[in-house]
Amino acid sequence: MASSPVQLDSGHDGQACCWCCSGYGGRMSLLLRRWLRAAVCMTVLASIGGCATMQPAEFFELSAESPAHKAMQTRLFETGNEKELLSASAAVLQDLGFQVDEVVREVGMLRAVKERSAREYGQEIGRFFVMVLTIGYVRNSVDLQQRISAVLITRPVDKAGMRSEVRVMFYRVVWKGDGYVERTTILPGEQRMEMIYDPEIYRQFFFKLSKAVFLEAFTL
Amino acid sequence: MGDMRTIGKMLILGGALLVQGCVAPKPGPDLLAPTEAQTKLRSFQTRTFDVADRKVAMRGVIAALQDLGFIIERANEPLGLVTAARFAEPDNLSVVEVTVTVRPQADGHMMVRANAIFNHTPIDDPKVYQNFFATLDRSLFINKEE
Repeated sequence: MASSPVQLDSGHDGQACCWCCSGYGGRMSLLLRRWLRAAVCMTVLASIGGCATMQPAEFFELSAESPAHKAMQTRLFETGNEKELLSASAAVLQDLGFQVDEVVREVGMLRAVKERSAREYGQEIGRFFVMVLTIGYVRNSVDLQQRISAVLITRPVDKAGMRSEVRVMFYRVVWKGDGYVERTTILPGEQRMEMIYDPEIYRQFFFKLSKAVFLEAFTL
Repeated sequence: MGDMRTIGKMLILGGALLVQGCVAPKPGPDLLAPTEAQTKLRSFQTRTFDVADRKVAMRGVIAALQDLGFIIERANEPLGLVTAARFAEPDNLSVVEVTVTVRPQADGHMMVRANAIFNHTPIDDPKVYQNFFATLDRSLFINKEE
């Protein structure tokens, strides 16, 4: 997507040069009118595109998927020992290759991070075919590096202090490498952020956590 | 000749624009003074809850934010501070950030204030804060029931 406006611009530039060289003064205004028309079209398109994104008011509303996500990310444990749950969670995340970033014991919060390569065969093969089909003119950028983060919260759920809830959320930020379209370079470093909603990842984590605390993990 | 004149005009216009660009607008003396809009926004962003324990209120805030799909970035119990963010899915380049402060009042109630930002622009839509406080109310109520 990033390459197309660049191409559009260069096309217009080329046209502008030709019109200037032809030396007709009257055509300057024609060119100007065309430019204005193009600018107006672009602005209208951009504003329509802007409307399609989610409005901020919806960000603080529970979505239809919220209960399912909560169920996937939460488990109950028959213990009131939050400290034990937090330290066991830290140990499990360490086993999974995470570095513990921050712990706030008073509110039962833990954040851990790990960086890994984000390279995938599918993308590399896709890039190769695009290069072959365009005879080397286009080399699209592929995902290079990713930072996977986990935020975990423990919370007592009954007054007697015999049950606790653990909720974990995984998400990742992916950085893209460089590429090019003809002579226009696509700079590296473009970021993409996403929540991880793969149930298997959460199941694995809670399986390990319940083994670490010697307790059964109950779903909501 | 006509061409030359047009180019000349364009140069003057460009020069004028350049000069304009050099003079940075100075911040006014009332930059930090409270405006009526700010006072109104503060009232949208603040609500008092019938909770006496700050830790309980903070945990309620964290649970509510998690239910709304926010990632808890920072929490500070002594100051009653929670910072969270979420991606504006399906647009995965935009971010919504929120800072919530929890302060106990003299009458045993708890004052909760939330500031939300969408891609570095403060959100001033009262509906957003109403939605947040509705979720927080539910979260604190469920906790009380249990």
